[in-house]
Formats: sequence, structure tokens, C-alpha cells
Amino acid sequence: MNMSAFFAGLGRAVVLMLVSAFVLGPMLVTILGGFKSAGELRTNPFGFPQNWQTEFFSSILSDATFWRFLGNSLFISLVSVVLTLIVAAAAAYVFAQIRFFGARWLQAYLLLGLVFPFATAILPLFIKVRDLGLLDSYWAVILPQTAFGLSLSILLFKTFFEQLPKELFEAAWVEGCGYVRFFWRFTLPLSTPILATVGTFVFVSSWNNFLLPLVVLNSRELYTWPLGMMQFRGEYVVEWNRTLAFITLTILPSVAFFLAAQKYIVAGLTGGAVKG
Amino acid sequence: MAEVQLSALNKTFGAVEIIPQLTLTIPDGSFTVLVGPSGCGKSTLLRMIAGLETPTRGSIHIGGRDVTGSEPSERGISMVFQSYALFPHMTVRQNIDFGLRLAKVPAVERDARVAKAADILHLQPLLDRKPAALSGGQRQRVAIGRSIVRNPEVFLFDEPLSNLDAALRTQMRVELAELHKRLAATMVYVTHDQVEAMTLADQIVVMNAGRIEQVGSPEELYRHPQTIFVATFIGSPKMNLLTGPIAEERGATTYGIRPEHLSLTEEGGWSAQVKFTEYLGNETILYLTSELGELTLRINGNQRFGTGDSVRVKADKVHEHLFDGKGRRIG
Repeated sequence: MNMSAFFAGLGRAVVLMLVSAFVLGPMLVTILGGFKSAGELRTNPFGFPQNWQTEFFSSILSDATFWRFLGNSLFISLVSVVLTLIVAAAAAYVFAQIRFFGARWLQAYLLLGLVFPFATAILPLFIKVRDLGLLDSYWAVILPQTAFGLSLSILLFKTFFEQLPKELFEAAWVEGCGYVRFFWRFTLPLSTPILATVGTFVFVSSWNNFLLPLVVLNSRELYTWPLGMMQFRGEYVVEWNRTLAFITLTILPSVAFFLAAQKYIVAGLTGGAVKG
Repeated sequence: MAEVQLSALNKTFGAVEIIPQLTLTIPDGSFTVLVGPSGCGKSTLLRMIAGLETPTRGSIHIGGRDVTGSEPSERGISMVFQSYALFPHMTVRQNIDFGLRLAKVPAVERDARVAKAADILHLQPLLDRKPAALSGGQRQRVAIGRSIVRNPEVFLFDEPLSNLDAALRTQMRVELAELHKRLAATMVYVTHDQVEAMTLADQIVVMNAGRIEQVGSPEELYRHPQTIFVATFIGSPKMNLLTGPIAEERGATTYGIRPEHLSLTEEGGWSAQVKFTEYLGNETILYLTSELGELTLRINGNQRFGTGDSVRVKADKVHEHLFDGKGRRIG
């Protein structure tokens, strides 16, 4: 290896390490912080703890309200995922398979949702949810989340479905398979990459959603974990270590979901190739 | 097995008229090949017979029934696609019996039919594999197996050998011919390859720009092409076409002679210079510039010629073709 190639490689490694440090640094502080005393957290944020204090983690894990918050988040996120997958896949299927009058207008209208900022919709959304009588329930979070997630989901599904060979449908059609049956027997089974991708995307954004639950949820029993953390933080305004321990625990389900879905995400976002 | 009758079919996509007006009878039990250049409408025609496209005007009858408005699965047809169109997430067995499962055929009969198809096509060892684990030729056979189990009245093939390499294509051609004999079925086969047409067909339909140029047996099309298009489409290398005195003195506009009906001679005939030689092992193709125009000549065996060599060429008078000003055959 000559000198310029060596320095180029070295430079690349240094840059990559710096970038990784920016990403991993805060993660490290978070995970390790939960094991440190308040004082140690201030003086030694990045290093390993002198004494591993496990009482913060154990007090959170033994707190029933923590599990309540986690359970609420899990239920809301999972239902959002299932609802979004079914509705978006069905809609994208129709757009991909059938040419009908007004299809392009409808698609354009749905795509508008992509540029719509959620924060501007908060007030009208609150009023709508209240008028529907759904305020302070799981569905107050699930339904708007699903609706807002449909734009991107339909787009991703449609792109993927359009890549399924047309002859596949024709071969099934000749065998007597209609549109609806084809959706369940062929399109969905062949779409595991995009289903996993969209599912993960929806799960993670629902899991981390703070603004919507804050606005529509009142009862503490229904709180999701971001709201739970805010309550927590209010009580222990200076106990960062407890907060960091809480955050570490709430990241885990998201990571677990992603790892489970990872097997099925094979270039999901770029469409994947299905050769018949 | 049934006769297919196409009456006054018209297919128009928006402003583009793919097939102006087509009438054709495909006899019961025949192997009919629709052949023509890309874009001539042969695939569109096949898809209309299958029910994948609806004709703009006209009607289609299969076995005497009017199927113009029927769904593909109700027409008594089955189709083999160019890209095989196997269901990638199902095993070979599931691919083959998919239609039977949809039609709720009892399991016993289903398994019997699959076994029979697998037997005919040598698919037994592959039944539990998925399409991704099969070679091109195996996939094509699974596609054919899928069409056999339906016991259709008419088999439709849309350029099924186009995706195979040359050696496999030759082998599959033979297998298809044997299949036709064994099943005694009506088969409609679309291809752009005139060799497939000549070797497989009882009846060839030559199409050009949505119209039928000629319908006939391979021999008829070869010996008596009715138009210049058919004359140059069938037969490889292409028929030599000459205009000028040689045609006019015979009362025609164009004079045609196939390369295999020209021969080299010591005296007489026309003089020519060798432009290029193609040596194929069993035969030699000579490209000549002659006093009449460009000529292609085919001779058996290996004969070496240098560029610029002078030769004399004569034609077999029995195999001359004459065409009028509109490209139609005279005599």
C-alpha cells in the first residue's frame, strides 16, 4: 500500500470514528448514566461507572406504572402498525393494479399528506377527535397516527407492488384468481420486505410520538411512555440518572421490533426484485 | 379439444389500431403458429383469445361457444407465458395445482392430475422445490405442467422458448412437438422465430401490422409465398429479391429466388464477385455482388472463397417466384 492510499484510508477512518462518536456518544451516556450516582454523572459522563448502581433500573422495573406506560405504548404502536399495513397495502394495491377514472387525482391528494406538518393540524385534530367522542382513549392516538402515516406507506407499497411482474397476475387470472384473492394469496406474501419496512417505520414513529398523546390523552392510566417520562421528570427534576435509566428501558422494545423485522427487510425501500 | 373461430376482430388502443379486422379459423387439434415481426399484433391476438384483452369489435368462439365476454378461466384455455410467470412463493406442486385448488377439485383427483403432468414432463423430483431453485428449462416445464392439469380445450403459448438458450430451445421444441402428439390438443403458439414456426406448426399464420399475410402449412408458405413479406420472412437466409430486366422479362416487378436454389456453375448464368463468406460447418453462405444486384447463395459443405473471387451463378428455374407491383404473387 503506497503512502497516499494509506493516508486516505487513515483520513476515512478518522472521519468515520468522529461520526460514530457523535451517534454513539449520547447513547453511551444514556445507557451508562442509569448506573451512576448523580454526582458521578456530572463528573464522569462518558466513562464507565465506578460502582454499578442498579437500584435505579430495579426501582423503575418494579414500578407498576412504568409497565402500564410501556403497555399503553405497545398496544397503540402495534395496532397502528396493523391498521396502517392493511389500509395502506389495500389502497396501494388498487392504485397499482387497477386503472380507474380519477386515480391520479386521488394519488396526488394522498401524496399531499407527505408535506403536511403534523403540528399545524393539532388544533383541528383535537376538535375532530373530541367531536367524535374519542378523546382520552387509545383510538384518539391510533386513528390520527394511522391517517398521517398513510401517505408515505401508500407510496412505498405502491412502488413495490408496481414491480411485481404483470404476467404473475395474468397467470393467476387465467387460473381463476380474481383481484381480491390475488391480493391475499400473492401480493401480500410476496411483499414481506416492504411490509417489514413500513411496519418498522410506523412502529418506531408511533413509539416515539409525544405531541399527539400529550394533546389527546388526559388519564394517567392511558399515558404512553414519553408522557410517563415527563411526569417522571417533573417528580425527579434533578435525578438525571433515573431519567436516563427510564429512557434506556424504553428504547429496548423499539430495538427489539427492528431486530425482528430486520430479517424481512431486504432493500425494502428500494423495492426489491421479484423474479417469477 | 376444440376449434377456435375468430370473427372480424378489431383491437384499438386509444388512437392506435393494432388489429384492423381479422378473421381466422384454428382447426381442432392443430398446432397453429402465429408468426411475425415484433409489433405485428400476434401477442395481442393471443391475449384476446385468452381473455386477457377484450376485443374492441368482433367475436371469439371456442368449441362453438361464444367466449368473447367470458373470463379467462371460463374459456377452457390455459396459457404458457414467455417469462414462465411461476408463483415464486409456492412449490412446483402448488404452482401446478393452484387452479385446481381454486376450483375446489377433490384432493385425490388433484394429486392424480399433478402426478400425470409430472410424469409427462419429468417433473417428479422437482415437485417440492421452489421456482428459484429451478433452471430455465425446468421452469418452463413447470409452466407447461400448470397448463396441462387444467385439461383445457386450447393451449396458448406466448413465445415460451424466447428466454432459453439455443441448445435448450432446440430440445424444448422437440418436447413440445411430442407433447402435441401425445395430448392431441389444439395449440396456438406465438413466436417471432420462423424456425420454430416451420418446425412445430401444422398451420402457420404470418402476420404483419395487424393483418394476416398468409395462412398455410409450412411447406405451402415456403414453396408458394403469396406476398413478398411472407417470402422474405420464411426461410433463412432470406429469399433473394431482384427488380429490373430479370423480373420484367417474366412479366413481373420483382423476381425472387431462395439462396438454396442458386448454384455455382462453370459456364452460363450470371457473373458475380464474392463479397463475404460465412462458413457454418455443414453449409457455406456466399454473399455476392452480381450483374443483377446483391445475391445470397447457399451451398452444402465447406467451400472456401476469397473476397473478390469471380464466380458464375445459375438459378433453379422450378423454384422461381414472381411478384407484382403490390408485392403479391403472380402464378
